[in-house]
Amino acid sequence: MTFYIARRLLWTLVVVACVIGITFVVFYLLPAGDPALRFAGKNPNPTELALIRHRLGLDQPWYEQFGRFTWRFFTGDKYGWPGLGYTYASGSSVKAIVLARAPRTLLLIAGAAFLWLVTGVAIGVLSAVKRRSLADRAAMGFALFGISTPVFWLGLMSLYIFWSQLGWTAGTGYVSPLDSPTGFISHMILPWSVLALLYAAFYARMTRNNLLETLGEDYIRTARAKGLSERRVIFKHGLRASLTPIVTMFGLDMALLVGGAVITESVFNIQGLGYTAINSALQQDLPLVLGIVLVASVAVAIANLVVDILYAFIDPRVRYA
Amino acid sequence: MKKVLRLALLGAAVIAIAALASGCGSKKSSSGGTTTNSGGTKSANSVVGSGSFSNGSPAKGGTYTIGWENSFGFTNNFDPTGEYLGNAWGLYSNLMLRSLVGYKHQPGAAGNELVGDLATEAPTPTDNGLTYTYKIRSGVKFGPPVNRAVTSKDVAYAMNRLANPKDGGQYSFYYTVIKGWDAVANGKATTVSGISTPDNNTIVFHLTKAAGDFNLRMSMPATAPIPEEVGKCFEGKPGDYGRDVVSSGPYMLQGADKVTASCPMKPMSGYDGANGNHIILVRNPNYDQSTDQYRKNYIDSFKFVVNSNADDIFAKVQAGQYDDEVSTPTPKTIRQYATTPSLKPRMIPNVGDRTNYLSMNLTQPPFDDVHVRKALNFIVDKAALQKAWGGPIPGSIATHIVPPVLYNNGLAEYDPYATPNEAGDVGKAQAEMKQSKYDPGKTGKCTASACKGVLTIADTRSVDKTMIPILVEDAAKIGLKLTVRSINGAYTTIQTPSKNIPLAERPSWGKDYADPYTFFAELFDGGAIIKSGNTNYSLVGITPAKAKEVGATGSIDNVPTVDPDIAACSAKLASQRTTCWENLDKKLMEQVVPWVPYLWPNNVFIIGPNVTHWNYDQFTDGPAYSSVSKK
Amino acid sequence: MTQPPDFDVSPGGAAIALPTATIARKSPSQLFWERFSQDKAALAGGIVIILLIFIAFFGGPIAEKITGHPQNQTYSQMTDAYGVPLGPNGTFWFGADSSGRDLFVLTMYGARTSLFVGIVASGIALLIGLVFGLVAGFFGGLSDTVLSRFGDVLLAVPQILIAVGVVAACSTTKSGCLGGLLQPGITVVIAVIVLFSWSYIARIVRGYTLSLREKEFVESARAAGASNFRILWQEILPNLLGPLIVYATLLIPTNILFEAALSYLGLGVPATQASWGSILSQVSSSGLYNVAWWLMLFPGAFLILTTLAFNLLGDGLRDAFDVRSER
Repeated sequence: MTFYIARRLLWTLVVVACVIGITFVVFYLLPAGDPALRFAGKNPNPTELALIRHRLGLDQPWYEQFGRFTWRFFTGDKYGWPGLGYTYASGSSVKAIVLARAPRTLLLIAGAAFLWLVTGVAIGVLSAVKRRSLADRAAMGFALFGISTPVFWLGLMSLYIFWSQLGWTAGTGYVSPLDSPTGFISHMILPWSVLALLYAAFYARMTRNNLLETLGEDYIRTARAKGLSERRVIFKHGLRASLTPIVTMFGLDMALLVGGAVITESVFNIQGLGYTAINSALQQDLPLVLGIVLVASVAVAIANLVVDILYAFIDPRVRYA
Repeated sequence: MKKVLRLALLGAAVIAIAALASGCGSKKSSSGGTTTNSGGTKSANSVVGSGSFSNGSPAKGGTYTIGWENSFGFTNNFDPTGEYLGNAWGLYSNLMLRSLVGYKHQPGAAGNELVGDLATEAPTPTDNGLTYTYKIRSGVKFGPPVNRAVTSKDVAYAMNRLANPKDGGQYSFYYTVIKGWDAVANGKATTVSGISTPDNNTIVFHLTKAAGDFNLRMSMPATAPIPEEVGKCFEGKPGDYGRDVVSSGPYMLQGADKVTASCPMKPMSGYDGANGNHIILVRNPNYDQSTDQYRKNYIDSFKFVVNSNADDIFAKVQAGQYDDEVSTPTPKTIRQYATTPSLKPRMIPNVGDRTNYLSMNLTQPPFDDVHVRKALNFIVDKAALQKAWGGPIPGSIATHIVPPVLYNNGLAEYDPYATPNEAGDVGKAQAEMKQSKYDPGKTGKCTASACKGVLTIADTRSVDKTMIPILVEDAAKIGLKLTVRSINGAYTTIQTPSKNIPLAERPSWGKDYADPYTFFAELFDGGAIIKSGNTNYSLVGITPAKAKEVGATGSIDNVPTVDPDIAACSAKLASQRTTCWENLDKKLMEQVVPWVPYLWPNNVFIIGPNVTHWNYDQFTDGPAYSSVSKK
Repeated sequence: MTQPPDFDVSPGGAAIALPTATIARKSPSQLFWERFSQDKAALAGGIVIILLIFIAFFGGPIAEKITGHPQNQTYSQMTDAYGVPLGPNGTFWFGADSSGRDLFVLTMYGARTSLFVGIVASGIALLIGLVFGLVAGFFGGLSDTVLSRFGDVLLAVPQILIAVGVVAACSTTKSGCLGGLLQPGITVVIAVIVLFSWSYIARIVRGYTLSLREKEFVESARAAGASNFRILWQEILPNLLGPLIVYATLLIPTNILFEAALSYLGLGVPATQASWGSILSQVSSSGLYNVAWWLMLFPGAFLILTTLAFNLLGDGLRDAFDVRSER
């Protein structure tokens, strides 16, 4: 078992390295224009541009830049370890920015995840149990709507209805829970709900499918034949088996949102990691992009690892695959 | 049957939402927009009022919060030696730095009048305009952590830092007239020989040739004094000083008193790029109000906060969470303030000293033919473009290169490509096109192959997205089929001549100080064309040799030049100078035709409900922070 | 569940159980049609899709003819003095966008972009995923490992961010990137979407191929001396068609939404090409969403309708193919 974990851990490192490599290629090597120009003034002269390029390290060949980045990551920079470098725009520590923005994204994910797991699974179970009833149809209809709706539209509509028209929630933006717990909730309730809706829909459908699948298995028939109550059959036997894939997916989905909640963060103006990364990408502030990609891909890779290990626990055959 | 029910429920839900939206929408629907000015009036700025707001007598105290859109966007990380962002100048000039000469921080022409700030007055030059002697006031002290009187040596140190290319100066080209400047710029000397400091309160500049606007050049923030004991920590490190700027003015970065002036310096906490992105300024304890006639300094502390969403910024301003903003109001906000009587006084439009324009590359077909350029000037619906920005309040329609205010309202009625309601005139445009070599059949439309797929670079702001369809449609009327690329930060693309971009939608140019020289010299000087960071987008005055140097290809021969005109005008003084610039404007508009100017944007500021006094600063083109007050 | 199910983890999938072949009295296609024709919702989805395809081809030009408003013609009278667009009226049924264009015509043309991108991208992703999945599942060993590893890396890459990077970079020059292969505009968008969706198909195909590989009919074909290619082509591929169609259909709405998201971020098709996503993006960035409800409602409704229809159809197809399910 430990050997399996070690092997997977090693692979995780390789994956992260590959992701960083891909990001580097896309942002440093594709012809997006000279970043130095962005950070020069209204009327830069060649000397000044050369200076800026030198200061940002852009006059070095790409492999040197990549090497420097990797080296600095392991040995740290003047802000400590790991060294993620400085932004082009203001020379601020990338690490500090990432640490400042990460809580917003994490809180967004945590709240939404709780909501979608609970509602998604509950609805899915209800639908499966009351198969073909009106409740089932309604629930699945709602779920279908949920997976078909673009997140930004849902976000804009909910802002329009609940903030602009009804005034029930605060508008866009983020308030730290340390500054004002009520403000925090008021600002986050809409993004949580919008994000949760999308995923709850998936999970509801999936739970329903899985549960129905499981309930058709032979051992369930046996359990029923043995005289167990329907409730026990469903909750003790059926759910356990059908929830396993869902729980593992849950971890992965959460991790993917670390770098992937871009649209929600954009619509609601929560300057989390995804949104910051996109903005930096568009402004060619490459160190910040790299730093965030690093964090996001580590999150996913670790989640992947955890999922695989969990599976190895549950199903011994996987270990030896 | 059950599945149909499922569908019906869905349909009902969609309809319900639609009903809710439309039902609520009609309350605020746009039928409420009343027409105040008919679109397309070109009378200069009938919307600009006094440029100020007053509600009772100003009281001292309070924290003034400013929402800053998207990101600070500093060009040199707030280091004054190189910082070229206009909004940063607003902070320096009003609050933090006292240059030798400065301004009154007022709107209108008064705001562009030069007065002594660190110096007792703006001197008249001696020696046929070659020597400028400034007397520094007594009683001006640096803030923490330096805490001593400002001397002439500090001004000299700042100038030497500006001259040294390793320290990141971005407009040192204004000072090459000082003797010995070029030697430092070329690395042959460390101090500028033409600057002398006979005593602590006197500084003398010796020039190589007369420059009529030299005093104006000495009003820019890079020339403000820098203490060497702090400056030496940042030599050769452009940008880093921005975190530790030492104040010579009424306010300082918060936390300046918590750092010590020894290298390496810890950053002052008031400049926070990372967590929450804000800049906080508090009063400088060493500031003596009696030495300063023009700054009122009512506010106790200023807080500049970055907010990525313009809509949110204006919502917060209206709610009173912000007092002011560095952002552009959207049409929706303009309308809201213009049509609500209680809000209207808090929206203050000001003349912006700026021109928005489409720039045509004289070397790229089909714009290498002057008739095509003139035709485009005739066809563009400037009124519609003005509407894209929000109508007459955010700006007046531009009819030539430099806004009239910089000519002291000269050329106010000059409109060489006038069309009815400034909406474009197909007849005139096509008549012009018929004379072009790209319309051999004299159809009035561009028919040659060069007219198809004309690459146009636009930016990705919402106003650009609104303007592009209008532009594309107008160009199609004269046979130009535009291929539009929307790039975030389009400037970096159009500032590179080797990309050979025919048409740029994005450009906008504002003055550096109140003289048309700051337009013409940087926008149309053939000698100033550079490989990267070029601002002469039209490549006026380019020569084959220069084209080779910067990598521009295309029709390089016979590109018209105005280099002699620029040189001639910049040597003149006073009204002769103004008339000379006016004639150059006319020549450019009628003979060279590098642009389609379409808007002279106003700087519209919206202030919060708690502000009791506000006025515009004409020099910085922003709020006069040193004059604002709140309750 | 007798083995860990092979499932997709991108937010576009659902858990798919591997079906086992059963011996039925009716042929599988007969069963399929029987079940499918009874699924009213799927039929409705199918009809809507046909309608949308019609709109994609002809809707734009027809709309222009009926209303007399060309797609890119701006109408100054449809924006008020402040540049805020006006809402629906007798001649402009959906109102106008912020440039003053007829939103009805734009919405009709928008169907073209969404459907074209969605279907083409899914089609290409399908082909690529099919090839890789077959190879990995059938030959196993190294190719399988490579595919899984590659899939792992692609999963960990932040999709939207790389999409932004590639699209932004390839838009700055006239020739695009990869030596002119990726032209700015719709080509880049499709390429990026394909990049991130092929592995979803590949995984599924691999799973099916793995199980099919061990079946008796494959063994007998091999015993009869059939080459690998023949086996793949004649024995395995036909059995994959069903699930492939299902997942392709379910992939289309995901890709349509991806394109809309890219347009929303300002990176989709050029400004002169109508796209539902870019209309919605305009609404958000200029804050018009609370004064111009029509800009949000109509493109949004059509977008949802489109994805809903494909999802319904895909669901129905899957139900119809999957013999063991009791829906």
